[in-house]
Amino acid sequence: MGDNFIYISSRQVRWLIILSFVIALVLDSINLIGASYQFLPPFTLLVLLYWSGHFLDYTYISTAFVIGLLADTLYQTTLGMHALIYVTLTFTMLRHRLHFRGYSVIQQALNIIVFMFIFQVLHLLILSPTLDDNEMIQFWSMPVVSAFLWLIFAKLLNLLTQQNAIEN
Amino acid sequence: MAFILSLAVIAADRNSDFMGDLRSALLTLLDPIERIAQTPKQVYQNLTTDFTSFDELKLENERLKTEMLLLKAKQQQLIMMEQEVGRLRALLGTTGRVNNSTFQIATVNFFSSNPLSQFITINKGALDDVTPQQTVIDAQGVIGQVISTTPNSSRVLLITDPAHHLPVRIQRTGQRGILSGNGHDNTQLNFIPKSSEILVGDLLETSGLGGIFPSGYPVAVISKVISRDSDPYYEIYATPLGQLNQAQQVLILKQQRDPFATINTDLDTEIKPNQQNTPNIKGLDGTAINPDHPGRN
Repeated sequence: MGDNFIYISSRQVRWLIILSFVIALVLDSINLIGASYQFLPPFTLLVLLYWSGHFLDYTYISTAFVIGLLADTLYQTTLGMHALIYVTLTFTMLRHRLHFRGYSVIQQALNIIVFMFIFQVLHLLILSPTLDDNEMIQFWSMPVVSAFLWLIFAKLLNLLTQQNAIEN
Repeated sequence: MAFILSLAVIAADRNSDFMGDLRSALLTLLDPIERIAQTPKQVYQNLTTDFTSFDELKLENERLKTEMLLLKAKQQQLIMMEQEVGRLRALLGTTGRVNNSTFQIATVNFFSSNPLSQFITINKGALDDVTPQQTVIDAQGVIGQVISTTPNSSRVLLITDPAHHLPVRIQRTGQRGILSGNGHDNTQLNFIPKSSEILVGDLLETSGLGGIFPSGYPVAVISKVISRDSDPYYEIYATPLGQLNQAQQVLILKQQRDPFATINTDLDTEIKPNQQNTPNIKGLDGTAINPDHPGRN
């Protein structure tokens, strides 16, 4: 799978990257309306991990910082808290991405469980959400749900990236 | 570098008001995204809402007109009472003053109740002279406080948010305390010593201390009082009176310092002297009718 990305630079799919972040922000906002579902992951983080794990020509650290600030604004948390978590996870992905991009989508999904588990632990430590029993179960099931979503997500973005790169 | 920058931003946001402009700018950027996110819900509501018949609308119009008349009558009484209070205060020589407020009606665009924060987004912003720290109420009571604004919208932190603290007093006894959100559509009343007299069902109203929230607005009703041996204070839970999750229309309060000015609401209509005896009545064809001379226009 990773071989398909060797000859594609992130510049070739710049608009796809921007569009994916905008759609992810909309999805996060939809999940925020009313009582949100704790088992759904932050879609912006999934997209961030996807792009930072697949392209070697760009680090996405500054993108992680900006997206984190937007998440802080969206969730009404102290500015910089989500940014700190997103930057930490993106940095971890950068250290690991040479392996990650060579994995199959299923192996990537298993890795995503670990990434999302780290996210939830940091989330709990830094942001201290108020969770009741039901929300606590949802909260800890989020990494597994993320893995399932990654299977769809990664395949869709792989396809779109390759199509977009051919057109450009 | 981004890691250090994140820590710096956290410190700046926690310890100063320095980041308020950055948050407003980010909120402005997110405003269209929140609007797009609302679209599926609005489409669903439009599809599921029954078409109200013309007769029902006429009936509702009549009911609203009657309600408006009653409210106007009550408003007149309130103005008289307020002036009376002002006179009595002047006689007693007290310095305390009743703050008057002007209201601004806003519609709720976005509502969120997640474990991190509880807030609503309303459709009035900086261009409508909405500023941070203004109190927001609905027909039942206080629902929150404006925390940030964009040109066309504002974000209101609800009283159930864990970061929200509101100085209140128990209406029956006058005992003061701090009402904090506990994140689950509920609030907790802190710092009420065990020597206080408190009952389930007691009404909490804003005390006006701190000068941010005006005094005397109902906030919540005591729902549970727990006394623990190890704690010198009661553990008290209160249910908010405001319809935090259902309110569609809310009022933004703007405090005024003039105690003798009348309450100015959207119900007030300015009647110009030359219009007092000649109401604007239109005939079926839309042409104006002079009530003194119905035959001549």
